[in-house]
Amino acid sequence: MNERRTGVLLAALGGLAGLLLGAVLWGPLLGEGGAGQPLVLALGQGGAGVVLLALCAALGATVGTAALPFAGEGPALVVRSLAHFALTALEVLLLLRLCFQVKRPDYLAGWLGILALLYLLVWLGRYVGWYWEVADLRRRLGLSPGPSPLKWRETLPYLPLLALICVAAPLLARWVDGTFVVDVPVFSGLLFPFAVLPAAGFCSGFSLGRRAGFCPLYPLAGGLLYVPVALIAYNHTALFHSLLFALPALAGNAAGGAWRRVKRK
Amino acid sequence: MEVEIRLEPGRKEPRAVIYAGADTPELQELAQRLSGVFLGPVPAFRGERAVLLEPGEVYRFYTDGKGVSAQTEAGVYAVRLRLYELEERLVRRGFLRVSHSELVNSRKITALDLSLTGTIRMTLGDGAAVCYVSRRYVKRIKQALLGEEGAL
Repeated sequence: MNERRTGVLLAALGGLAGLLLGAVLWGPLLGEGGAGQPLVLALGQGGAGVVLLALCAALGATVGTAALPFAGEGPALVVRSLAHFALTALEVLLLLRLCFQVKRPDYLAGWLGILALLYLLVWLGRYVGWYWEVADLRRRLGLSPGPSPLKWRETLPYLPLLALICVAAPLLARWVDGTFVVDVPVFSGLLFPFAVLPAAGFCSGFSLGRRAGFCPLYPLAGGLLYVPVALIAYNHTALFHSLLFALPALAGNAAGGAWRRVKRK
Repeated sequence: MEVEIRLEPGRKEPRAVIYAGADTPELQELAQRLSGVFLGPVPAFRGERAVLLEPGEVYRFYTDGKGVSAQTEAGVYAVRLRLYELEERLVRRGFLRVSHSELVNSRKITALDLSLTGTIRMTLGDGAAVCYVSRRYVKRIKQALLGEEGAL
């Protein structure tokens, strides 16, 4: 069976499963006291039912074909996965907004975050599979084992630096401001998060990228390490500081990896 | 099975004759495998000049839309054989089909790199040639390498 026919079959099966789910949800959502009453008032019971069934069928068909984008490789895989994610996100948002009457933007963003996490997990599962396949090929060809998965082992030497930037430095900045500065905490509130943290993230990421290539776990580890520190040294409003480290570190790491590739050529 | 080699000065390609009491499927398979073994060099062209390439010195054979080319340390040559013909003849000489358009010399592979998007980059020699492995061919490559391991 070719890829197109497999895709159509999976979409049809997924669509059918979605229709069944829509039929099950019809009563609780569109019946009296259900969350979808505003939709029933706007379109009538039949119209609201058609919207619910169409959205559930479309979501089912999209979920049914979720594995297909990963059948490709390289840029095709990225484009197809992003397109699939965008379509799924649109269907989930419409379903939540119209049929479940979820209105709060933070709730909708939360659901989108969960969906993005699911995609990330699927990709990670696929990557691990590819990694072991290539490791097996290397072994059979008598080549050296190659880098560790997602280069976690290559990232380890940078952990002390990460601890220094994301744990020791913010705590020290808070202590300095609390001890020596009387009125405005300029260092911990302004200079450190908006200048020192991004610059340190970019430079350390670049250094790692130049030595070991692209290491996606480095910015992630830094961002996660900063979360409890932000809550201890500041409060929940400072959680975005972790992005002020993670994003420049990601950019620096990618730039360092590109530098390494160019130098090798 | 008795095996006898007779040297015949001047002969360019070896000729094998099998003496048997009866025709069996095993015999047919043996004959087919023997005829598939390509021992001689591959005729190739660079402009008007014809050369004979030793398979061992070729990094890869590939198609680029115009025809089949062979890449060696000395440069790129045009080959007038189809890729599947080369594959049939060279598969027992350590050549692997890594995508629908490339046949590589497994003895020249020096590195395999995996990208985050699943692309497998293959380096041949000291980086003189680089090609990409199609994931659809990974299973076939493993089987071919398993065959080589078994043969050793």
